[in-house]
Amino acid sequence: MRRSRRKPEEETRLDMTPMIDCVFQLLIFFLFTIKFEDVLAHLDVSRPSPDPNAPPPEEKIEEMVTIGVFTDGFTLNERPMTPATLDRMLSRLARYSKTQTILIKCAPDSPHERLIQALDLCSKNGLTNLNVLSM
Amino acid sequence: MAKLVQSDSQPDMTPMIDMVFQLMIFFLVTIQMERDMFVEDIRLAKSRHGPEIKDKVPGTVVIEVDAKGRIFMGRTLLSTEMLRYLLLGAVNRVGYNIPVQIRGDLRTPHRDIRRVMDVCTEVGLVRLQFVAIQKEVTQR
Repeated sequence: MRRSRRKPEEETRLDMTPMIDCVFQLLIFFLFTIKFEDVLAHLDVSRPSPDPNAPPPEEKIEEMVTIGVFTDGFTLNERPMTPATLDRMLSRLARYSKTQTILIKCAPDSPHERLIQALDLCSKNGLTNLNVLSM
Repeated sequence: MAKLVQSDSQPDMTPMIDMVFQLMIFFLVTIQMERDMFVEDIRLAKSRHGPEIKDKVPGTVVIEVDAKGRIFMGRTLLSTEMLRYLLLGAVNRVGYNIPVQIRGDLRTPHRDIRRVMDVCTEVGLVRLQFVAIQKEVTQR
């Protein structure tokens, strides 16, 4: 009788060692493999309509602010600019109107990074109506 | 005494096997998920001031252009014709109002990005977005 009483007591003891082992293993694995994702931004642009019935935009283009994107720098209405001066000019423009259309003309050889830089400067100054054209 | 030594020499393999299977399944699932995402060798340009991408609009088309100007969608290399065909399919299914995200490598010449933009506008998709890194967390 004594034996039968002792037995259930022994069986109820759970061995925690494998579980702790496993949890530690997983913990270390996660610590090594965790990879934080970059925070991504979206820069919205619009493209001119390819509609052939649309009125020729020649007159309008002359009135618009045009940013030129080249391999070696930027221009603003044909005047060469460094990123810092372009930023200053755009912040001045943004004081008048943030919804004015800005044309961004991109040279075919310019790296994509340049265009992103120009769009970033526009976004910094709150200019939202951006059109991307290719030269 | 003799009995005790015998029982010690036989370790229980069950927890180890359990664990190995758990890890194996985990690896299989995560590898599959990572593969499904994007082309790895695209380095995005940085844009500190661009608005953060929070919730992706359902149906958003993501087009990738690598440094050599190759076009990918869902890690599949596409020709310009194939891209046009796929975008037309997307337009027919969802409509013209879906945004198109262009993940261009920072070294890609603009002419290759232009090819993609031209196809998008030809098809009627005009909501274009360029993807850039706002805050870099990973070290490259």
